[in-house]
Parts: sequence; C-alpha cells; structure tokens
Amino acid sequence: MQEFLQQVVSGLATGGIFASLALALVLIYNAMGLVNFAQGEMAMFATFIALVLIDRGLNYWIALPVTLVIAFAGGVLIQRIVIRPVERAPVLTLVIVTLGLATLVNGMAGFLFGYVPRSFPTPFSAQTVNLFGALASYQDLGVIAVSGVVLVLIYLLLQRTTLGLALRAASHHPEASRLLGIRVSWMLALGWGLASAVGAVSGLLAAPILLLQPNMMQTVIIYAFAAAVLGGIESPLGAVVGGLIVGVTVNLAGAYVPGVGGDLQLAVAFAIIIAVLVLKPNGLFGRAGVRRV
Amino acid sequence: MAALLELEGVRCGYGQTRVLHGVSLSVGEGDIVSLLGANGAGKTTTLRAITGGLRWDGSISFAGRSLKHLSTEDIVRLGIAHVPEGRGVLTELTVDENLRLGVYLRRDRNAFGGDYDRVFNLFPILRERRRLSASTLSGGEQQMLALARVLLMRPKLVLLDEPSLGLAPMVVRSIFEVIRTINHTDGVAVLLVEQNARIALELSAHAYVLEVGRVAVQGPSSQLKGEESVRRSYLGY
Amino acid sequence: MRSVRQAPASYLLVLVVIVFFVGLPTVVTSFQSAEWTQVLIFAIAIMGLNILVGYSGQISLGHGAFMALGAYTTAILIHRYHLNYLATIPIAGVLTGVVGFFLGIPALRLSALYLALATFALAVITPSLIKRPEELTGGVRGIEILPAQPPDAVNSAFTAVTGSPAMTSDQWLYYVSLGIALVLIWLAWNLVRHKPGRALRAIRDGEVAAAAFGVNIAGYKTLAFAVSAFYAGIAGSLYGLTIGFVSPDTFPVSLSFQILVGAVIGGLASIPGPLLGGIFTFWLPIVSNQFVAGQAWIPDQVAAVFKNAGPAVTYGALLILIMIFAPRGLVGLIVSGYANLRTRLRGAGERGTGQLPPDPQTV
Repeated sequence: MQEFLQQVVSGLATGGIFASLALALVLIYNAMGLVNFAQGEMAMFATFIALVLIDRGLNYWIALPVTLVIAFAGGVLIQRIVIRPVERAPVLTLVIVTLGLATLVNGMAGFLFGYVPRSFPTPFSAQTVNLFGALASYQDLGVIAVSGVVLVLIYLLLQRTTLGLALRAASHHPEASRLLGIRVSWMLALGWGLASAVGAVSGLLAAPILLLQPNMMQTVIIYAFAAAVLGGIESPLGAVVGGLIVGVTVNLAGAYVPGVGGDLQLAVAFAIIIAVLVLKPNGLFGRAGVRRV
Repeated sequence: MAALLELEGVRCGYGQTRVLHGVSLSVGEGDIVSLLGANGAGKTTTLRAITGGLRWDGSISFAGRSLKHLSTEDIVRLGIAHVPEGRGVLTELTVDENLRLGVYLRRDRNAFGGDYDRVFNLFPILRERRRLSASTLSGGEQQMLALARVLLMRPKLVLLDEPSLGLAPMVVRSIFEVIRTINHTDGVAVLLVEQNARIALELSAHAYVLEVGRVAVQGPSSQLKGEESVRRSYLGY
Repeated sequence: MRSVRQAPASYLLVLVVIVFFVGLPTVVTSFQSAEWTQVLIFAIAIMGLNILVGYSGQISLGHGAFMALGAYTTAILIHRYHLNYLATIPIAGVLTGVVGFFLGIPALRLSALYLALATFALAVITPSLIKRPEELTGGVRGIEILPAQPPDAVNSAFTAVTGSPAMTSDQWLYYVSLGIALVLIWLAWNLVRHKPGRALRAIRDGEVAAAAFGVNIAGYKTLAFAVSAFYAGIAGSLYGLTIGFVSPDTFPVSLSFQILVGAVIGGLASIPGPLLGGIFTFWLPIVSNQFVAGQAWIPDQVAAVFKNAGPAVTYGALLILIMIFAPRGLVGLIVSGYANLRTRLRGAGERGTGQLPPDPQTV
C-alpha cells in the first residue's frame, strides 16, 4: 500500500508536468482551433534559456519568473510573425506551419546549445518526507506545488480578470468580440504568450528528470496530447485533470504491469488517446459541438 | 447640423459578387433611421460595411471622420455599437460576463454601478440569469442581453440588424420600447435594419428603402407610411 | 485548371519528364542514381498520402509507420522466408493496404484535428513498437537486406547503352522504382479522374452534401486510407531494398512529417505535385545548407547560424515561408504563374476565379 501511494504521488508529480503542457495546448486550441505541434519545442527552448541564466549565477527562483517572461514574449512574437499571416488558412496549412516551427526551434536549440544532454538544477532536495505513511520526495512535492501554483494563477487570470475575460471572448467569438471593441488579434497574441509561459513551466519541471537536450519534450508532448484529449480539448480544467490522470496511470502501469517500462509507457498514452477518441470523443469536460462565432 | 453618420456612394460586395451599388444615407445625432428592403437588398451588408467587416468603395464618415481603413475594433471605439444578425451574444460566457464586456471600453468606473442597476431594472430576467451561461437564454432574452450590452456601452450610434427576427410579437413590442428609451433618454442615434417595415416605420423618424443594392425610396417615415403605392411596392403591406 | 492539363503542351511536358527520368542513370553516377531512387520513393509515399489528404481530406501524420510496415514486411520475407525480393514488393503493399483499411475504420469517427493527433502519436510510438518483437524484427539492430542484382538481360541492355562495365544494383533498383512509380502514377491518375476521385473530392469539400447525394462516405474514406497505405507500404518496401537494411531508427517521427510536408509543398490534390514534393523533400535539406552558405547578400552571422544549425533550421524556416506565401504548393505556384503568363500573352483582361464569400450571404 505504501509503495502504491508513493507511485501515486510520483504520478501526480509527472502529472503536473503533463498538465502544464496540456494547458498550453488547450489555451492555443481555444484561441485558434488547432493544436500547436511546436509547443513542446518552445518549452524546451525556454528551459535552455533558463539554464543559461542559472549558469550565469542567477538564483533559480529568480531565473524561473524571468524565463517565464521571456517565454511569454517569445510566444507573442511567434504569433505575430509566424501565425498571424496564416490565421485564416485551412487547418492543414496551420498544422504544417506549427510543424515547421517545431523543426525550426528544435534546430535552433541544437545549434545554440548542442545535443549533449545536460543536467538541470532543481531547487528541491531529493530527500523524502513521510506522508500518510508513504515516503514522498521533496522533489515530487515541489513539482506538484509549482505546477499547482502556476495552474491556479492561470485560472485566476482567465476567470477573474477583465483581461482574461477579453481573452476568452476573443478565443471563442472573434467576430462578436470585435464588435465590443476587443482587439482580437492582440488577444490571440496574448494567448500564445500565456501558453508559451505555461508550457515553459512544464519544460523547467521536466528537465531535472529527463536531462535537458533538444529532443527532451518529444515524448512529453505525447503525454500532454493524451491529457488534453482525455480532459476535453477545449477545457483548461480538463487539461489539468487529464494531466494528473495520465501521470498517475502511466506511472502505475510502469510499476505494476510487467513489460511496460521506458518507451512502452508511451504506448499507454497512445492507448489512452485511442480509448478516449473511441469511447468519449469530447473527453471528460468537453462539450459536443462547440460553435465559433 | 452635420449628420453623425454619412454614407455616400458606397459600393461593396463579396469577392466578385457586388451587393451594394452606390448607397447614400445619413443619420443625424439622436435620430432613429430605418433601413428597409427585401431579403438580399443589401441591408446587412450596409451595416457590415459601416463597422469595417467588409472592404468598400465610396465614403463613410462618422462624426466627420472617415471610417476607411479602420479596423472594426477602432470603429467601435469611436462610439458605434453594432448588434449583428444573430445578436452577437457570446454563448460560451455567462450573462454577467457578457454584460461586463459591455463596459469593456469605458473608463468611468464610478458610473458602472448605476448603469448596471438601470439595465437590470429594464430587464429583470437578466439579473435572474446572471450566473448562467448565455446559451441558456431564449431568442428574446438574448436580444435583451444584446440591448443591455449596448446600453452599457453608451455609444453615440447603434446599428441594429433585424432585432425582431424570430421573436414573438409581444416580445418585439417590448424590445422596441427599449430601443425607443435608449434613443430618447440617452440620445443615442439608431440605424435600424428591419424586414418588419411596419414597426420600423412606427419607431423611426426617417427611412430608406434598399432595393438590389441601391436606395430606391427615402423620406420621413410618416410620408412613407402614408403613401400606399410605396407601401405596396416596397414594404409589402 | 482542367483546360491547362488537357492542352497538348502538358502531354509534351509529361513525355519530357519521363524521358528525363528514364535516361537519368545513364548520365549520373551510381550513387546519384540511388539518391534519385529515394526521390522516387518519397514521391510514391507522397502520392499515397496525397490521396488521403488532398483528395479525401483526412490528415495523417503517421505515414512513416506504413512505410515501416512495408519495409519490414519485405525485410522479413526475404530474410526469414527467402522470398524473391520483387515478389515481396506487392505483398508489402497489399498487407499495408489491408492494415490501412482497418485503421481507416476508427478514423471515420475522428475530426481532422484528432485524426492528426492520433496518427502523430502512432508515428511517435512506431519505433518502440518495432523494437519489441525482437525475434521477428531483429530488435534494435534491425535486419539487413542484401543488394539486389539486376537480371542478365537488363544488365546487358544497360551496359550496351551506356558503355559502363556493369549495371549496379543501385541503378537496377532505380529502374525498378521508376517502373513502379510510373504504374502507381497512372493508377492514381485513373482513380482521380473517375468515380472514386469525384466521390473523394465531394467528400472532402462537404461531407453532408456528399451524403445527401448518396455517396458512400464510410466506404470511400476507408478506401482512401487503404490505398494511401498501400502506396506507403510499397514505398517502404523499396526504401528497405534501396538502403539495404531496416531498423527502428530508419522510421522516426520526422519521416512522417517529411511525407506530409512533401505532399503539401508539392501541391495537394494534384498528380504532378507528389513528384515535386519528392524532389523537394529529398533535396532540400541537402541543398539548403550549401545554398545559404553561398549567398553573398546574406550577412555573415546569419549565414553562419544556418550553416551550423544543420538542415533543421532552414527546413523549418522555409516550410513556414512557403506556407505563408505559397500555400497551394509548388504546383499552385506553377499553375497560377502559367495562368498569369497566358493572360499577359493574350492581352485579355481575365477575370480571376471568384473567391468564395467569407460568410454565407446574409444581405
């Protein structure tokens, strides 16, 4: 039982990482009806920037918000320069553009930082603490806490501020929002900035575990897709819940199902995606037939 | 007194299909003007051109300022509110959130409370359904929400696209009462597109009748109401 | 566009292209022939994907997986069951086609985006799936395929024409691939011209309307999946034969991207598009580095970045630029360029094709 609880806590920690990236995907999906295939690469790039800052002596807890700001700016820039010209293009064009972006960002990271995996510092010690009879590491708890804080902040921003309201309005109803004076185009840029920052959190939390290298996020994004699909692709809450469920499930599968380890855990995520799409395509929190006016 | 809204020789369309072939009309400050005509005459297109939803040739000016090349958001910020066909209610948001977007552009926070009260007094149902999703409102209630939002925006001019569409006669009456109030009390000018010519003529002082993208008839509403030939040929009654 | 294609000029163009490809190995080195074989292989895979994406409107980011299936089928049949390599090609194609058909059934229920996601996930886990049944697939090491030697008759003919001492297996495989490619192009062309093509396009442009006209949506969509998988399977089989081995690493996610990108860049829903796409996909990464480094007007720092960052950066940047400025792909550019030229030459003020209204007409 103890071990089970430990696996669950670990799973929640990985789940927090998935949830953050999934939330980024959902934010952009809401803004433009498409999944940003470059989200993982953008997160990875932001994490490299954080490493550069930390290597120059910046304290982790200062580097973190600075990186998020830089990631935010990067997201806005990308929306303005790359996405806006093809805003009204068909889905396929947008898919190709985000794929091209992913390749571009991955290549830039490879050139600037090399392909040798680097260790990434974590502010949480590996020590464990006794939690309801199970041993949970500070690392895991720290990850849960940080992702939790970020997710709550995003929630507050979206639901409780006027800016968040305008952002949601612009995402779901661009034409009607224009008639209310909302600068829809800038709201979309804002959405991208936010998504980029949230995704960066995912990268920062994953790096200590996975080791930082340009291809680091390629598996994480699959898990994030599974989480977003499970939660319902338009639901931010769904992304979070989905992320936690995927994290715990994959962890437990890895621990208790014989033969499942390492790369086959990815197959578990794939199975989740397929199962959801077949049984309940709208996910846990999604609604059928979302109209965009 | 120069007109608040002035259209001259406006031509526009969709791609290769030309819909308006030179429309000229004007709306004075505080006026109610109706824009009538059959389906396909170009009424909605005219409104969309005014708020920048389409490219157009000719001249459109508001308070002396040309609206050419301005984005929709900027035109709205000049003081024009537009309730489109379908009412433009944001169904993914709650009633309350829709209303909050009504004051999005305003800076005078102190006046908000009073305005909200006014809106809820006019439309008690909105107060009841505040926290609910706007998608739960009926057609008439959505129209009320749209008008409430317009009130909150405190525009100088409001464009209404077929407010009576799909509504029961009783509801239509109360909606039009509200429009009259907005115009009378707040001095907001109204450009009203309607298929229901009878009620539009009752409300408005001046009317234009569009036919196939051109102004066929115009004049004081009383005059148009009175001339039987006009009514029969253009207004359908 | 129809009138452009039916003009005699285009038939002449096709002839020129065929002559070019048939004659190619006689004038380039054996190694270069092998490179061009890969262009043809890409073209075949892209053709298959084009049927799915361009004509039936379903997105797949996982065609690399189908290629892997075709390649491994060939490899296993040769290695374990000692089948003649030529025989394995159609078997690989058919097997992959059948799998594609069965995958096409659940795909019916997915919207475009979800289908993209699901196929993307498939592409990502393909290497893992290949590794597992080690007995069969050789696990991480993969399976080696011995180069196929040309039959004597062909060898004699080739040496007689070119004067070279012997025909290499690379050159032979080039001709095998070319032959298959021509057959498959002809097949695709017929498919598209006749009822299946019309049905698919009707489905792509509006499923509801197509259903109202009695088109069997489910049938044609799964057919599209099956056919496109068939093409990819054959491409995969040829790929394995050409490079001489198969391993999980030969089929990474990026392969699926390249196929899709090639299809879009070449021009969707066109017959020549895949060939252009194949050329682009294979040569771009190689050429882009050299090209950028050689340009005098690009500032040194920028050029240095591109040179060192490997093909990825230029590839990604070019992709984005092409999508922004030429979303109909190279074929679209050529066609509109040709149309412009004709207009200018004729002097007539040609009315452009009308754009669709942005909204339903609500006047």
